Amino acid sequence: MNGAAQDLYDRQIVERARNPLYAGELPVPDLQGEGRNPLCGDRTRLDITLEGHHISQIRHRTRGCALCIAAADMLAERLGGCGLEEARAVGARFSAMLVAPDDPAETTVQKAAKRIENPPEGIPSLGGMEPLMAVRFHKARIRCVELPWVALKEALAHVRV
Amino acid sequence: MNTDRTLKAAPAGKLDVQAVRAQFPILSETVHGRPFVFLDSGASAQKPAVVIDCMADAMRHQYANIHRGLYWMSERTSEAYEAVRGQVAAFLNAPSHEEIIFTRNSTEAINLVAHSLGSLMKPGQAVLISEMEHHANLIPWQMLRDRSGVELRVAPITDEGDLDMEAYGRLLEDGKVALVAMTHMSNVLGTVTPAREIADRAHEAGALVLFDGSQAAVHRRTDVQALGADFYTFTGHKLYGPTGIGVLWGRRALLDDMPPFLGGGDMISSVTFEKSTWANVPHKFEAGTPAIVETIGLGAAIRWVESIGFDAIEAHEQALTAYALEKLADVPGLKVVGAPKQRGGVISFTMADVHPHDIATLLDRNGIAVRAGQHCAEPLMRRLGLHATTRASFGVYTDTHDIDVLAETLARIRDFFV
Ligand SMILES: Cc1ncc(COP(=O)(O)O)c(C=O)c1O
Repeated sequence: MNGAAQDLYDRQIVERARNPLYAGELPVPDLQGEGRNPLCGDRTRLDITLEGHHISQIRHRTRGCALCIAAADMLAERLGGCGLEEARAVGARFSAMLVAPDDPAETTVQKAAKRIENPPEGIPSLGGMEPLMAVRFHKARIRCVELPWVALKEALAHVRV
Repeated sequence: MNTDRTLKAAPAGKLDVQAVRAQFPILSETVHGRPFVFLDSGASAQKPAVVIDCMADAMRHQYANIHRGLYWMSERTSEAYEAVRGQVAAFLNAPSHEEIIFTRNSTEAINLVAHSLGSLMKPGQAVLISEMEHHANLIPWQMLRDRSGVELRVAPITDEGDLDMEAYGRLLEDGKVALVAMTHMSNVLGTVTPAREIADRAHEAGALVLFDGSQAAVHRRTDVQALGADFYTFTGHKLYGPTGIGVLWGRRALLDDMPPFLGGGDMISSVTFEKSTWANVPHKFEAGTPAIVETIGLGAAIRWVESIGFDAIEAHEQALTAYALEKLADVPGLKVVGAPKQRGGVISFTMADVHPHDIATLLDRNGIAVRAGQHCAEPLMRRLGLHATTRASFGVYTDTHDIDVLAETLARIRDFFV
């Protein structure tokens, strides 16, 4: 494949989309949320169980492209065991990553990822989600990786921290 | 990969595709460092130099508002604008240029009929569409239904993607259908619908018939009289012309009885604060300053298409579509959606294990432009049991090399994912 696409379709993303670790549903979820993209018919549903103010487990059912499935799976991985407040903060950081202004000097994911790996103090790390950051160079696809976060937002909408 | 275009003769023979391609400046662009392979003409076609130049020339040398000025420049511009009406009438074999109404696009043309003719319909009457309509020929009728209590009926398609003519006949039986509004060619399946038969059955049941010719008018000669149509719409930008200009043709007697759609300048005969009277058709339906330059550009596009000729265009596209179907059949895991009796240059497909978004992005990185998603036909996708497809659509400039590059790249994408 051509260079920049290789960045977007990082091996980790493709592998994760093919063999998601957190796909499925939970028998008795405490929270549920759904994200839909009416333009393309993609959909993610999240099932979440809580322990106090912590997320204990997340499972997702995703009908979508490789980026969407990988994003949902990485979300589930990153947020399992997370406090609700932190989960929201990770979401905010993820969104910020997607809309970060283009740096013309920054041509590879690796360079950009450095900033993500070393976030300023007080900002939660994105954990294993760095490969997704290449999406910011593909504006048309941002919606694909946001979908699971839309579902999370819906799931958390009625929970007070 | 074979990158040498000149060595390959087009299968169609008659049309000199390379000579055609040379007239489209954009086709020599590169995308992501690759030659641009454009396979999204169904969404909007590229423009030949004559169209681009004609519009620029109009603005450089011959432009003023029309129908208003008493001066030379306005009169010449009005003539150029009105001449296109005659051209479009000939293009559609319409009985009169006065039956040609300029709109912004096909969507607006259909909305015009839905509002204007729709306002004459009564609860108890029905509009009949098909399962394979573009949203442009669905939403305006849904809105009419919700506004006026008219029933909206949907004729099913077969699994092959043809209109189910038996079911269509049954939906007409009770005589309540006032208008059949149907695509002349599906933008997803490529299905060319049997327009004459659709129209005959509609008329037997006392219904009028509108064809959405947005796709069809690009690929074959359109004769609204031979089709037995009452209304026909198309859109300039798919016909190698500019955006912002579309066409509604309607039978004079119908247009005369229909109330205006939009109100404003140019569409009136006399105005007082108490009451106004309307201009005659077509002006009754053309409120405000129209897309003057775009209309003139549409005239250039039609001239250009006619200089190539629909015999050559249709033969080329048919041969190319057959070639593409054959090539795509060899791509592992690829499934073409639908197998209609008559197909224009549109092929939707799915590929096992690879989502259309991923396909489209990876094709794009290789310079290839296709469309992925629901193609403004969400109910059709549901009917087909699909969430999204990838669509390659062809134009007069598409050649076998484009198809070869597509098929080869698809095979590599599949390897990448599987
Ligand atoms: C079958 C069909 N109908 C209607 C339209 C709408 O055309 P426009 O957006 O120019 O109004 C399209 C274009 O996508 C189409 O393919």
